[in-house]
Amino acid sequence: MHTITFRINGERRTETVSPTATLLEMIRDQLHLTGTKEGCGIGECGACTVLLDGAPVTACLVLAAEIDGCEVRTIESEVVDGQLSLLQQAFIDAGAVQCGFCTPGMIMSARGLLLRNPHPTDEEIIEAIAGNLCRCTGYQAILDAIRSVVAEAGSRGGR
Amino acid sequence: MLGQFEYARAVSLEEACRLLRDEGEAARAFAGGTDLLVEIRNGVRSPSLLVDIKPIEALSILETNGRDRALRVGPAVTLNRLAENADLRDRLPALADAALSIATYQLRNRATLGGNLCNASPASDSIPPLIVAGAIMEITGADGTREVPLDCFCTGVKKTCLETGEIVSAVRIPTVAEGTKTVFLKQQRIKGHDLAVANLAGALSPIDGLLKFSIGSCTPTPLLLGPIETRGHSVDAISEEAVRLAAESISPISDVRASAEYRQAVVPALVCRLVHGLMKGGA
Repeated sequence: MHTITFRINGERRTETVSPTATLLEMIRDQLHLTGTKEGCGIGECGACTVLLDGAPVTACLVLAAEIDGCEVRTIESEVVDGQLSLLQQAFIDAGAVQCGFCTPGMIMSARGLLLRNPHPTDEEIIEAIAGNLCRCTGYQAILDAIRSVVAEAGSRGGR
Repeated sequence: MLGQFEYARAVSLEEACRLLRDEGEAARAFAGGTDLLVEIRNGVRSPSLLVDIKPIEALSILETNGRDRALRVGPAVTLNRLAENADLRDRLPALADAALSIATYQLRNRATLGGNLCNASPASDSIPPLIVAGAIMEITGADGTREVPLDCFCTGVKKTCLETGEIVSAVRIPTVAEGTKTVFLKQQRIKGHDLAVANLAGALSPIDGLLKFSIGSCTPTPLLLGPIETRGHSVDAISEEAVRLAAESISPISDVRASAEYRQAVVPALVCRLVHGLMKGGA
């Protein structure tokens, strides 16, 4: 077993994890943050996307033991004081959520994009979410949602 | 849960080599994990120990060395970091393009150059541009460091010349002469993230007018072909020579991505496109 200390959604935590536990398993089963979803488990679908030190990664292909000293951000960090983020509201307004299973990962990929590039082009948005599969929406509504936040929030970084 | 293994963080090259040697063949060096964890999950591999090499600072270097501006890339450098490096983009765009063509943004934040090379897939995208650039693998073990040209590093499908207890400590890319053109081409089933049906890279030197190229996914290990003399020859004649070389060298198999016949048919077209891309604007 490994003892790791890290920050998740701004909170400092120390956890004991099995060497074979993935970051996704720790987030869901140990920390009970179940917003992050498991789709494929092999890095193909992006449902488990979280930010690791600010960069989107698929949590199913990261070992929990690896994140000692790191900063993790999950979909739960989007809500502040009970208020949805602009990005979350934009997904609702644009009808970018149908079954909802891909949405947390999709939003974390979009968040990662807005953090590194507050004014992305359509092409850059598409590239950033290409690793997040959605089987319901056909992607157009998702693109519309992210685009509307870029236009609206500008320098506020989509918050 | 991903099977049964122990996990160790190595903080020095010596420690990593010692851990790998002591555990023997069942140990694996672990960097991004984007291939290895999938293989473990699918039961293709069942290592007893993963030695995480990312904490070793020296393995994450990405630097231009000395007067000749040779590049040294640590094996733990992620594909996104590689693709975003302006110096590399300027001097070896084929490698930057190849890195960006691999998987998705999220995976490229974890996947490393060393992993893509050591995984030794016939369809590795980073190998063709690196072998046309003459990349050298620096390999470190208990007895010190040895150097192996990348085109001799892979010994078969998913096999390398790494011995037990050895790891790649750096990838050295010799000076690419000012004005050298490099091109990367990848044939995929879909426009989006996919492994290659065939992937090619070429380099044309302005100094001697020699053209080298590499074809992946059509032999057990990517091929290095040429050099072809371009001076005094038409683009069509050069293409013809390159296509002839390619056709006699590839031995594709049928797999989930394409049939052998399709690969035989598409490679000549890709080689022509590669030569035209390299010759555009003159040698």
